[in-house]
Amino acid sequence: MFDILIANGHLLLAGAVVTLYLSAGAAAMAAVLGAGLALLQLFAFWPLRLLVEAYLYIMRGVPLLVLLFAMYYMLPYAGVNVNPTAGGMVVIALYFSAFMSEVFRGAILAVPKGQWDAARALGMFGRTMMVIVVAPQALRLAGPPFVNTCIMLVKGTSLVSIIGLLEVTMAGRQIVERTLAPFQIFTGVAVIYFLICYSLSVYGRYLERRTSYVH
Amino acid sequence: MSFDVNFILRNLPVFLEGLTVTVQISALAIAFSLIWGLVVVIARLSRVKALRGLAAAYVELVRNTPVLVQMYFIFFGSAVAGYPISGFMAGLIALSAQNGGYVAEIYRAGIQSISQRQVEAGMALGMQGRQVFSIVVLPQAIRRVIPPISNQGIVIIKDTALVSTLSVAEMTYHARLLTDRTAAAYEVFFTLALFYLLVTTVFSGVMRLLEWRLRVAQ
Repeated sequence: MFDILIANGHLLLAGAVVTLYLSAGAAAMAAVLGAGLALLQLFAFWPLRLLVEAYLYIMRGVPLLVLLFAMYYMLPYAGVNVNPTAGGMVVIALYFSAFMSEVFRGAILAVPKGQWDAARALGMFGRTMMVIVVAPQALRLAGPPFVNTCIMLVKGTSLVSIIGLLEVTMAGRQIVERTLAPFQIFTGVAVIYFLICYSLSVYGRYLERRTSYVH
Repeated sequence: MSFDVNFILRNLPVFLEGLTVTVQISALAIAFSLIWGLVVVIARLSRVKALRGLAAAYVELVRNTPVLVQMYFIFFGSAVAGYPISGFMAGLIALSAQNGGYVAEIYRAGIQSISQRQVEAGMALGMQGRQVFSIVVLPQAIRRVIPPISNQGIVIIKDTALVSTLSVAEMTYHARLLTDRTAAAYEVFFTLALFYLLVTTVFSGVMRLLEWRLRVAQ
């Protein structure tokens, strides 16, 4: 029954490589952007903070698919010829940076007040305090929710198939159009996503266990 | 390239038509997710080990695969199996199945966050297990789950955009058709984003109101 899946497995695996590459690139960008946004949201001068809030509000209220379409349809009219892979990766990164900023903001705020006071009592200020005292603890706390956001991101990359990028979901659709075997092929696609996301979630749970005995 | 406000006003009926479908599928998907989540969490916390394992496996399965793939599986699968269902139904089933898994975890966290002392206090007052649950634990758990449920609702509303790929004529679908016909990409996607912001903002406002109404003076 599953010989159609086995016969086309190499196409799905080639798609999976694109999915992994897209996910890794977008996750790295989203993490850096998200950390920056979190710092701005917490410590910046108020007009800048307001701007960041507006950005987060838009990213949280508009579907990723709409942002992808906006990029796909709008940029060509502006005369920008964008590579769909790079474009998709950047849009996914921008969208998930809003969720990443929430992860980092929560982690920074979760560092106990006493730690900040102790750092100040030792004569530390601003950057020194952040780098030596707050960041190492916050990053540890951010681990598990960071991994959860990465799982959402991996699943989110499936949407770029709609704007025509050949990753694993699109590969699945193309094979289904040829073979008319949606159950077998989409099971294969789902298994690939499951393997990626489930291993991430096992890692997330491991981080959670490890961080829970810090305090 | 100029931004034509009149174009938006002229095509407002198109967006409103899509809006009704988006609101419909969002409301149904949220309602079914809340109900299905309850079924799953009851299984997840049951005394029967097999049921517990099954529910846990279900939650892992739906949470670790994209809702788009689930939609394709149901939509194209049902057609090949000889029982074709509409894109609307396939989308609704996939959204409810996936988010039911998330909602079940939210319920579980809410129930387990109620302190064991509350349960003991209920027992000390002579309540039975079931009474303790419905009188002591549940009212407190419901208050705690409203904010995460509100977040999940927003996820559902945003994910309804995906049913446009199954040719369901909701907002995103209309927006794409309109762009293909008129090439007014800026106007169309600006308006579309505004409409989604409107729906998600109204929804989270209503949930905040609910939270405020159910608050308890501490």
